[in-house]
Amino acid sequence: MTDIRALEADIAQAADSGAPGRSAWYRLEPAILGTASIAVLLVLWEVLPRLITMSAGTKLFFTTPTQIAGTLWRLFATGTIWTPLGVSASGFALGLGLSIVVGLPLGVLIGRSRTLNAMLDPFITAFNATPRLVFLPLLMLWFGLGLEMKIVIVFIGALFPILINTYEGVRNADKTLINVVRSFGASEWDVARLVVVPNAMPYIVAGLRLAIGRAVLGVVVAEFFGSESGLGVMMVQAAGRYQVDVVFSGLIVFAALSLAMTAMVQVLESRLSRWRPQRAGGE
Amino acid sequence: MQAYISGRNVNLTFRPPNRGPVRALQNFDIDIGEGEFLSIVGPSGCGKSTFLNVLLGLIKPDSGDIRMDGKPLAGPGTDRAMVFQEFGLLPWRTVQANVELGLELKGMSSDTRREVSQPLIEMIGLSGFEGHFPHELSGGMKQRVGLARALATDPNVLLMDEPFAALDAQTRDLMQVELLRIWQTAKKTVLFVTHQIEEAIYLSDRVMVMTKRPGRAKKIFKIDLPRPRDYEMRVTPEFNELKLQIWNELKDEITV
Ligand SMILES: Nc1ncnc2c1ncn2[C@@H]1O[C@H](COP(=O)(O)OP(=O)(O)OP(=O)(O)O)[C@@H](O)[C@H]1O
Ligand SMILES: [Mg+2]
Repeated sequence: MTDIRALEADIAQAADSGAPGRSAWYRLEPAILGTASIAVLLVLWEVLPRLITMSAGTKLFFTTPTQIAGTLWRLFATGTIWTPLGVSASGFALGLGLSIVVGLPLGVLIGRSRTLNAMLDPFITAFNATPRLVFLPLLMLWFGLGLEMKIVIVFIGALFPILINTYEGVRNADKTLINVVRSFGASEWDVARLVVVPNAMPYIVAGLRLAIGRAVLGVVVAEFFGSESGLGVMMVQAAGRYQVDVVFSGLIVFAALSLAMTAMVQVLESRLSRWRPQRAGGE
Repeated sequence: MQAYISGRNVNLTFRPPNRGPVRALQNFDIDIGEGEFLSIVGPSGCGKSTFLNVLLGLIKPDSGDIRMDGKPLAGPGTDRAMVFQEFGLLPWRTVQANVELGLELKGMSSDTRREVSQPLIEMIGLSGFEGHFPHELSGGMKQRVGLARALATDPNVLLMDEPFAALDAQTRDLMQVELLRIWQTAKKTVLFVTHQIEEAIYLSDRVMVMTKRPGRAKKIFKIDLPRPRDYEMRVTPEFNELKLQIWNELKDEITV
């Protein structure tokens, strides 16, 4: 009798934990599994090189997680990373900022004005279809190897996702809602502020996410192929000296930057979409 | 009654890109007296919403003369407000911010706006829902927010496009009474579009029947029932007689 009671309680508990948002395990399972698989990978990476005998020459090309962690720590502790990181980060931030400041209003304008759209569309299409890398030699010639060149290459990379997504979102604006605010005497500026931009927000945020990726790529490309300083320059120089651990450290810092920015966009997104119905299945 | 709003020979054809033209209004004539309650009934797609949009100043007709208070109509103005057929609530605004939309565009401070919106929200029975977003409301609740928003700017002319269609029968009855009270105390001119003949008779001074598309005024019925009207009036022989006459006029226009 008691056994059956206990069994029933067990079953009830099991059913409970299956319900979304109830048990800790249900919520944490993906995070735990994800962390575990990364941990396994790191351990394998650390252990395997010790088990396999490699010639000294081959060893030059490899490193281990502990070595990378040590190098990263050293780079930050001694402060040697701050200057290149600062240069890369300002190139990234200024270029991305500029692309938002230009891309957003421009996207709204060409989305709302048939004339502007017709005038600018050929340029945008052509520019967007051209791989941005081909501009690099020209930009180096015009802007040199310093911060300006980096800003420009980041800018032209990040501009189009923002511009084009904003445009798409603006085109998608609900005609009835525009009529509603017009009927209350709204000016074209009010229409943009009250209907068009809020309506385009999901598109704009998606564009921003793309733009961040492009901006990081812009920084990396500029620094790999012609810059005086920056994280990428540090990586290229370290690779030349077979300092694989330093190269990996740079890579990790870049990855961390991108992840941090993406997380910021996610926070922004959830702030901005409070008014939306919760997506089914989402938490 | 002298015409406050008049439309003469109004013609309007939609020309959607990549599709054939749609004639929505043809030689449409209308006269609305100041402070009058006029309802329009007509088959679906006959141009009722189109005409309301013309009066609102959102669509320009191809030809015809439309005047309000003797002056030709020029664009939207705060003397008119519409209760939209599909509610037209801004989904990213709360109930309160939606009700205050017109006031905000008038440049009113948030305190003053609140003084206006609060009693209206109470009137439509949505107290406690001020901070809710439209997707959290039922269809009937959304419709009432649309009504409050139109009333907030205190327009002379209320254009109402099937404003009670999404309401349950009981709420509908209550809102009809409330509308008549507002209309009588605030002396507004109301143009009311509905598919319910009974509703049209109960509320109106006159009921216009429109033809099928392209819409024209087919016949106008004067509703001589005494006011204030009450619920029992709907079962009187006069009421039923009017209902039958209007239905007879309307049914020839409806093709299924
Ligand atoms: N923007 C538009 N572009 C093209 N055609 C339109 C447009 N708006 C309305 N129409 C057409 O004009 C006609 C009249 O439309 P309207 O919305 O005025 O009808 P309605 O009388 O309000 O109908 P309902 O009772 O169903 O609301 C319809 O045939 C519709 O297809
Ligand atoms: Mg309609």
